[in-house]
Amino acid sequence: MQRLSPQGRKVIGAAGLLAGVGAGCALVWGGYEVPADLLAPTLVLEVAVGWSFVTVGLVAWTRRPDSRTGALMVVLGFAWFARFAVAVAVRPAFVIGVLLSSVYLSVLVHLLATFPGGRVQNRAERVVVTVGYLLSAPLDAVFLLLGAQRGLGEGPPPGGLVIAARSGAFTPSGVDLAVQAVVVALFLSLLAIVFTRWRTAGPAQRRSLTPGVLGGAVIVGTILVERTAILLLIPPSVGVVFAWSAQVVLVVWPVALLLGLLRSQLDRSAVGRLIVELGAGLPVPERLRSVLARTLHDPTLELAYWLPERRAFVDASGVPVAVEANGGRGLTRLERDGEPIAVLVHDPVLSAEPELVAAVAAGAGMAVQNERLHAEVRSQLREVRASRARIVEAADGARRRVERDLHDGAQQRLVTVALALRLARTQLGSASRAEIGALLDEAGAELAGALEELRELARGIYPVLLTDAGLGPALTSLAERSPVPAVVGDVPARRWPDAVERTCYFVVSEALANAAKHAGAGQVVIDVRADGGGLCVQVADDGRGGAEAAGSGLRGLADRVAALGGELSVHSPRGGGTRVIATVPCG
Amino acid sequence: MLIVDDHAPFRSLARRLLVAGGFQVVGEAADGADALRAARELAPDVVLLDVQLPDSDGFAVAERIAGRQGAPIIVLVSSRARLDYGSRVDASRARGFIAKAELGGEALLRVISGPAGAATCSG
Repeated sequence: MQRLSPQGRKVIGAAGLLAGVGAGCALVWGGYEVPADLLAPTLVLEVAVGWSFVTVGLVAWTRRPDSRTGALMVVLGFAWFARFAVAVAVRPAFVIGVLLSSVYLSVLVHLLATFPGGRVQNRAERVVVTVGYLLSAPLDAVFLLLGAQRGLGEGPPPGGLVIAARSGAFTPSGVDLAVQAVVVALFLSLLAIVFTRWRTAGPAQRRSLTPGVLGGAVIVGTILVERTAILLLIPPSVGVVFAWSAQVVLVVWPVALLLGLLRSQLDRSAVGRLIVELGAGLPVPERLRSVLARTLHDPTLELAYWLPERRAFVDASGVPVAVEANGGRGLTRLERDGEPIAVLVHDPVLSAEPELVAAVAAGAGMAVQNERLHAEVRSQLREVRASRARIVEAADGARRRVERDLHDGAQQRLVTVALALRLARTQLGSASRAEIGALLDEAGAELAGALEELRELARGIYPVLLTDAGLGPALTSLAERSPVPAVVGDVPARRWPDAVERTCYFVVSEALANAAKHAGAGQVVIDVRADGGGLCVQVADDGRGGAEAAGSGLRGLADRVAALGGELSVHSPRGGGTRVIATVPCG
Repeated sequence: MLIVDDHAPFRSLARRLLVAGGFQVVGEAADGADALRAARELAPDVVLLDVQLPDSDGFAVAERIAGRQGAPIIVLVSSRARLDYGSRVDASRARGFIAKAELGGEALLRVISGPAGAATCSG
């Protein structure tokens, strides 16, 4: 809805005032007879209802320009006064008055069906609002064409403007009954829509819905009883009481609607309390959330903090959370200097009040920022704990592998040597020299194999060439022993800190092993260059790709690189080879 | 004798050593499944069973062979020492344990002639 200019407000207000005066004049001097005892109360109530809607509608429109409810209330006020055209005893006024006689009811249906936003939001609402409008002016036009008329200036004003018990027997026609049935069905659907909205609303939304919905339900209920009075066998005198009470409720209902619209705004004073409360002590995670939830009247409110480094949201304890506008939840992002710091996940009704949420967010700004830093630290702590656990596990795994390699390799071979020697010993007297020689050869071969395996194992445990000669020769030796042909580019001929050289060496060693074991690669290229103050190592193979960076081998490498403050990235598109890049800072 | 071990050079040397020690070797098996089948078909008197087989654990294989009617005597062997297996050897249904490096006709005879139910060990 457009924001209402002060001038527009004045013009509409003046028009409303005039319309009320005009309606009063029409009733008093229009040419019909109004029973003397009913004139004053009718006049007062009718004008009060119309003015109430116009003035309160204007206030609502001004204070909540985002909602169409204010404008609808103003329209309802004018439609209310427009009925009085029928009280002027001239033909054109009668026609206009009949045509506009029930437009106010259509607007009332529209207003209640779409409260508090004033906009149709689903199919059921659209049907009810449309049927509501079809039942007013278009249907009355049909009745006019069918010949609804009466002697002008005789008796009380037509159209039930003055509420009084009907004199004489009421004999409704079939058409009358059908129309009444549709009206009753319409109002029942309206009540159903309003009740469903109230029932499914969150606490914050209920606060703004309740006053208007309650008043609306009373009005609709009264109209329903009035319309079905005949069917319900309610005596006409009681029906009159209902009609009067509906009128009284109509006078105060706009105020109830306004109260609902402004209810959360009234709560802005709570922002002050929020700041005092947050300032009362160091915020603990749950306290910040609960204070915000209380201030915004939304116990379901959740807070997620943005960690720019990880590009992810985490909760107060640092656990990553998915933040999406799903399940009908509203999202409000809190920013500081253009950078996101947190997001509030809240009742959708609060989305209609960005100013309130912004005020609360501003009030809690320092606390949220503070809590975000806490969450960041907790998140880093979790990551460090997790990586520490993985590093310990990796070390244990490596020891297990060494034990198994020793057992399956060198140990088996040494056992075989021992047995061969024992056999040779037992056969010394009986076997030929050639047979003994063959046994000794067998033992020698097994010993040589055991030695080679022990050397390989020792190199795997720690590459002594790396310490003695540096990264270049160590990587060249690694490439020479690789089962997949590997080429090492120029490695800067200088030394880096031990830990840096070791980490780069093991990155290449693991990547080579992966290229041979998993990638089915035909060629591997190893590239090492000094990168600023650190080292950048890249191992690229031409294998089948699709390596999982979260797989245990690569994860272990990433932990190892991260332990030195470096970063490991893996590019492994399916069918496009694998590229492992490690950047390690030096000190 | 049935020799069960996944390491072919060991099987070959063990066979020659045991034959030299007066035993008759009726077959060899390289894994647990092979061992179960050979033990049934060849009905050996003694099974020399490696603890670490590629497809299963030697203790489990020993349990299954010993559970049969007319089960052979089972002697466990390993390149590890008996200490590495803690009380598992005693708890098993094997007659005894021999460290592979200690294997020979005499050692085997000593284990076989030991009392059933109490594992005799060498190594």
